[in-house]
Amino acid sequence: MTDGREHERRADGGARWVILHRIALRHWLGEPRRTALLVLILALGVAVFLSVRLANRAAVASFQNFTDTLTGQSDVLIKAPAGLLPEAVLGELRRGLGTLPVHILPVVEATAAAAPKGGAREAWGRTTYQLLGVDLVSLANLPEARGSGGPLLGRSGEGADGFWSVLRRGPALFVAPALADQAGLKAGSLFPLNIDGAVVELPVAGTIPEPPDGARVPDTLIVLDLPALQSLAGRQGKLDRVEFVVEPGPWAAAVREELPGRLRALGAGRWTVASPGARRQSAETMTRAFRLNLTVLSLVALLVGLYLILQALDGAVVRRRPEIAILRSLGVEERTIRATWIAEAAVLGLAGGILGVCLGWAGAQLAVRLVGQTVNALYFATTVRAAGLAPGEALAAVGLALLSSLAAGWLPAREAARTPPAQVLVRHASDFEGPAFLRNYVLAAGALAAGCVLTQLPPIRLAGGGRFPLAGYAAAFLWIVGGGLLCSLGLPALSRAGRFLSGRYAEARLALSHLARPSGRHRLAVACLLCSVGMTSGMAILVASFESTVRGWVGRSLTADLYVSSDGSQSASSLNGLPEATWRELAAGPGVVDSSVLSAESIEIGGVQTLLSGTQLSAVQRHSDLPWVQRPLDGAVFDPSSNSGLALASESFAERFRKGRGDTVTVPTPSGPRTLRLAGIFADYGNERGSILVERADMARWFDDTHATNVALYLAPGTDADRARSELVARHPGLTVYSNARLRAEILRIFRQTFSITYALEVIGVLVSVVGMALTLSSVLLDRREELATLRALGLTRSEIARSTSAEGLAVTACATAGGILVSLALGWLLIYVINKQSFGWTLGFVRPWGQIAALGLVVVAAGTAVSYGVGLWGAALPADREE
Amino acid sequence: MSARPASLAARLLACAWLSAAGVLGAGEPRTSEGFPVPEAGHVFRFPRDHGSHPDFKIEWWYVTGHAYAAGGRRFGFEATFFRSAAPRDGAGAAGSADFGAGQVYLAHMALLDVRTGRFLHEERLNREGWDAGSAVERLAVHNGPWSLEMAPAPGEGMTLSGGIRSEAAFSFHLEPRKPLVEFGDHGYSRKGAAASAASYYLTFPRLELSGTLRYGAETLDVKGEAWMDHEVSSSQLDPGQVGWDWACLQLGDGTEMMCYRMRRADGTVDPFSTLSLVDRQGRVESVGPAGFRWEVLDTWKSPATGAVYPVRVRLTVGARAGKPARVLLLEPLARDQELAGGAGGIPYWEGACRVTDGSGADLGSAFLELTGYAGRLRL
Repeated sequence: MTDGREHERRADGGARWVILHRIALRHWLGEPRRTALLVLILALGVAVFLSVRLANRAAVASFQNFTDTLTGQSDVLIKAPAGLLPEAVLGELRRGLGTLPVHILPVVEATAAAAPKGGAREAWGRTTYQLLGVDLVSLANLPEARGSGGPLLGRSGEGADGFWSVLRRGPALFVAPALADQAGLKAGSLFPLNIDGAVVELPVAGTIPEPPDGARVPDTLIVLDLPALQSLAGRQGKLDRVEFVVEPGPWAAAVREELPGRLRALGAGRWTVASPGARRQSAETMTRAFRLNLTVLSLVALLVGLYLILQALDGAVVRRRPEIAILRSLGVEERTIRATWIAEAAVLGLAGGILGVCLGWAGAQLAVRLVGQTVNALYFATTVRAAGLAPGEALAAVGLALLSSLAAGWLPAREAARTPPAQVLVRHASDFEGPAFLRNYVLAAGALAAGCVLTQLPPIRLAGGGRFPLAGYAAAFLWIVGGGLLCSLGLPALSRAGRFLSGRYAEARLALSHLARPSGRHRLAVACLLCSVGMTSGMAILVASFESTVRGWVGRSLTADLYVSSDGSQSASSLNGLPEATWRELAAGPGVVDSSVLSAESIEIGGVQTLLSGTQLSAVQRHSDLPWVQRPLDGAVFDPSSNSGLALASESFAERFRKGRGDTVTVPTPSGPRTLRLAGIFADYGNERGSILVERADMARWFDDTHATNVALYLAPGTDADRARSELVARHPGLTVYSNARLRAEILRIFRQTFSITYALEVIGVLVSVVGMALTLSSVLLDRREELATLRALGLTRSEIARSTSAEGLAVTACATAGGILVSLALGWLLIYVINKQSFGWTLGFVRPWGQIAALGLVVVAAGTAVSYGVGLWGAALPADREE
Repeated sequence: MSARPASLAARLLACAWLSAAGVLGAGEPRTSEGFPVPEAGHVFRFPRDHGSHPDFKIEWWYVTGHAYAAGGRRFGFEATFFRSAAPRDGAGAAGSADFGAGQVYLAHMALLDVRTGRFLHEERLNREGWDAGSAVERLAVHNGPWSLEMAPAPGEGMTLSGGIRSEAAFSFHLEPRKPLVEFGDHGYSRKGAAASAASYYLTFPRLELSGTLRYGAETLDVKGEAWMDHEVSSSQLDPGQVGWDWACLQLGDGTEMMCYRMRRADGTVDPFSTLSLVDRQGRVESVGPAGFRWEVLDTWKSPATGAVYPVRVRLTVGARAGKPARVLLLEPLARDQELAGGAGGIPYWEGACRVTDGSGADLGSAFLELTGYAGRLRL
């Protein structure tokens, strides 16, 4: 008994292989172009997903302590909860830690922009250098294996003379080897940098050696002796952080354990204690919501790709039905046939997945810049240039491809297995009905309704202040699926209406007759096109709404004539500022009648990063009409005599910290925590971290820092702003001065950049679904081979048949596009009022960019029609009975 | 041990030692770099002169000793704090208070576990400022977590805190058992023919040591004896010299010896080499190279640097008025006690020794210092 079964199973396995080889492989290999196209499309879906994942990973990984390059990773670091640490803590730390064997490494960080070349005044996009100030002498005490810092001093010249000259000659730069190569820098070369609005030419002392662990020195890293950077950046006596490296040895683990607690006890709230790993972690959590959003969007392309696999395998089933029928009449069982088709899908999935990994890795190099730009604009400095291939991610991508092609292959496999043995004799246009749910309109309506319910759910709150609108995305998914299914209802209606209209055009009537009872394929094609058109159009609505809202916000809040900031202060990570002398001079400049000085500090409340900004609140009221979410109840907050202890908060802040007007917030400052009452909430699209606005004079006192982040100048009426700008630029070559119009344009550009990657993902989705529609029609035509032969016999020309097919394609794409646009209005609402609001806390006005949407629709319909015409030409040449 | 920093520090020190020796003009003698030169007849004032002399180019506080724990455990240790001043050329910035550019501080810590022969050492280089410095009015010098400090008068007891990485840490109280000795001519010690090759040389020849030593998993109560030199100079070597051998001996009979032998490039011993004897009362008697013989009995080749050190020495002190000649054998307690400066740097050997009479009878303990064997002290 057992033997018999075993024998059977083996024979069965053998048959499967023979069938797979003789039937499946032969076909795929016999049509290399079609096979390649299919694999490529699947690969594209995988690639989009993978490249976004890899780019995300790279953007986060690149957030590093730049000191790691020099010291290896420190064990612990301390940082003021707001502002800078006074240098005096160093001696206190050493005394407090007693004989604990720990290297104490103070760090000062600053940024500098590359100096303008020639007459170029374009500050955006210019390289920002990370200036790292470390004590070059004490760095030499670190064990060699820990980093490349030790030999820095030794590099700058031989012997004691070289040593002393490093300490005494003033600021000198150690640059990354890549920068030295690129800019042709040698020891002694002068390198111009723009620091805090002034261009200084500094001598190069040498290059930073590559760290021993093989990591690369970030191209934009520049190392200086700590006191030199302090004086360059105007931070005498101040430190950004202090890092601690435990000396190696048998007690090291115990010392590492003990150190954070001792530091916390010593600090008594004056500083926060963290491990560098935890800092990286916070960068990770800070952008988690953003990255999750991107990943979800990248899945759209894969979803569409999945549909394509289904189409392609289905087409293959149709083409090979005679063979399958023969096999069935030879006694091959249903399940063997099904298994063969599933195996086929798996092979395709695997090939597509592997190719997708290669493509995705290449794509990631491109995507990484886009993601990097966005992360830079919104969160922190990344120096990312290339994305590595993470084996885990690659495996996941291949797995995903395999899984989706198996899922997609399941329906065609069932269809193949159901082929009756006698099929070969009676060929008829066997309509692919597809699964029942395709025709279940109640289910579709239910999906739409469920989506509506989901929109009312709150987002998932992530650590570090991030929010992920899971319910919102689920609602979007349900609406797209439900909308797609319902939309195929439109096909018969379209068919009737079309027949009425098309009158004496036989080709059109012929095409529309097929849609009177649409096949499962048609329905799927509609659903898929609707999905990508809907998403793209929805995204267009979001971007347009965003842009118009920001435009309005910019118009109301940017009322000054000139905006002055230090070069290189254009990203969220910039540390550049304007010294008091500079902004006072600017404010007192010729033709200036009023000015508004803004300073901003990054602070941490409850472990969540946010911004504290100071400005003259009275000037805010005087010059700009802030878009209020919750308007202050009285004018106290704008009156310098009564506004101490009052603050305004941005909407993002309110969302992040769940605060509203009248609530109090305690913010850390170097001079101790301050409790502020929120007098109002204003809309602000400037940053996702949120910000609190207080009177600048108070803030300067709390932080003992009079640097300004930027200055807005109001000119006397009749003053030529462009002339005033040119004069300022000539006087202060290190300053970036924007005229009002220019700044508005730049802000809008940044916002578009933020959405560029998501937009690109949607466009890929549209492309893939148009190709998918072509595949659908080719399957349909294969099924109708006899009909086509009859038509030809009746005297229809190839081009007439092609016209008929293109009419069919036109109807399908038009139906899907119309439905897609309809769904996109709902999606746009969802993106704006739920997903965006929940992820970023930005309220936007709803805008419908009809021109853009119409253009998208026309392009999709035209492309669909044209592609269908091509398919029709091909189909008309199909032989009636033989295999093609 | 990190090789490169060590090399840098060694270079720095060597440069200080070798700094141009010429004395310029008349009047107050100065080196060509503008540093003052120690002068005969200087009257020391304490505790001020235990403190720092930042005008001079180099200064060190040099503690070596032997510590004993229960169970016959024995350790040798070295704890040295160096100070080196920036060239007095009027060029360059002076730096800030916390990150000074006028002085740098170098420190060496070493520990020998005699039982296992395990030798640990660490070096630390810091600029003058928050993490390193020395007081002027009294002895208080620190570098990183390491420090040497004399308690305010009365008394001259000192506290030494030191260690080697996360592996050894010691905190010793050092109490003078004999008064301070001023070597040379009332503390003015010549090292060569050049007028600048001289130092102020103050020594506590016998310090009673007590304290704790944390070593690996053990925390040991230790007692023992230490020696401390405090030298101030602007140039230790004469241009013709390539290195020196130095030893301090603490003998069981309550006397001490200090001996330095300046070696010249031509292989001879500089006439300014000296052997000083400290009697029980702390009186010093010194003899020149004619009065003692330094014979190398055995050498050790360092696998790390390739330097060959004469680590076993027979010291013969010639007969003097009423006293017979005396033979003392310096036997290293471990052969590898090299503070390897590493690639390109200048390593030296500073090791704990036991003193015998040649027939095996124990006479006391010593520290032997051998410099300039891993290449000439010149770059």
